[in-house]
Amino acid sequence: MNTPDMLGEIKELNLAYLVLAQQMVREDKSEAVYRLGISEELADILGSLTPGQVLKMAATSVLLCRMRFDDRLILGLLTSHDKAGTMPHSHAAILLAGQPAENVA
Amino acid sequence: MRNKSVVSEGQQIQLAIELINLGARLQVLETETSLSRERLLKLYKEVKGESPSKGMLPFSADWFLSWQQNVHSALFVGIYKYLLAHTGLRGIHALVKAYRLYLEHVQASSLEPILTLTRAWTLLRFLDVLLHTVKCKRCGGDFIAHRLELNHEYVCGLCRPPSRAGKSARRAPDAVQAAACAG
Repeated sequence: MNTPDMLGEIKELNLAYLVLAQQMVREDKSEAVYRLGISEELADILGSLTPGQVLKMAATSVLLCRMRFDDRLILGLLTSHDKAGTMPHSHAAILLAGQPAENVA
Repeated sequence: MRNKSVVSEGQQIQLAIELINLGARLQVLETETSLSRERLLKLYKEVKGESPSKGMLPFSADWFLSWQQNVHSALFVGIYKYLLAHTGLRGIHALVKAYRLYLEHVQASSLEPILTLTRAWTLLRFLDVLLHTVKCKRCGGDFIAHRLELNHEYVCGLCRPPSRAGKSARRAPDAVQAAACAG
């Protein structure tokens, strides 16, 4: 993949992420806070962005969303094949719920 | 407590309907709303088309400790505590939201929703009285345990599943597949 293509893809993904996050926050903020793993303050900011601001934000050369599982264990659980009854996804969900939310400084 | 305001009564009815639809027993409704028992009974029959089941609520704290139940309970409490920490939701509203998110996870992972709303409500009442959350020493997740037990070396049921774990769960998809083949 050449660089202009990759930058285009990044922009598209950023835009999709921001639009989805905004939609989630506007529909039900507390649910969005849980699903996105962000603080309420950050959810408020995302929800109040104008379309122009979203477009501007999306048009950067870096991705705006980030892996939530910097934990080797959670990563392993989510990628593992379901060994009978070990419920890896539920295990991962329990661990994710215990993690701190992404916050604005 | 009798409500004088029509708006707040409307909200109470809304909440009661939501709880009934999620499967709450009458005792839960009586505790969590300010509506009278007669009105709740009438509402219940209107929403469900049948009388609420009678008798006592399940009161065993041990239910939450057996393997599968513990995983479901830990997930629900995890979501509930997350909502308390990061949103303005409190009390019954946090419970309803957490329970909905729990149901969603269970459905997405095609598991049985073994924790009913009434059980979830009971669990929250037991927390810090009979039960509490303990950190698993291996994975660091919060799980449910007896308050009076010594839990400083606690390892959760997911890090160390019992030998029979998942046997019934494995049979279920096979049965479904067999039924599909036969059909």
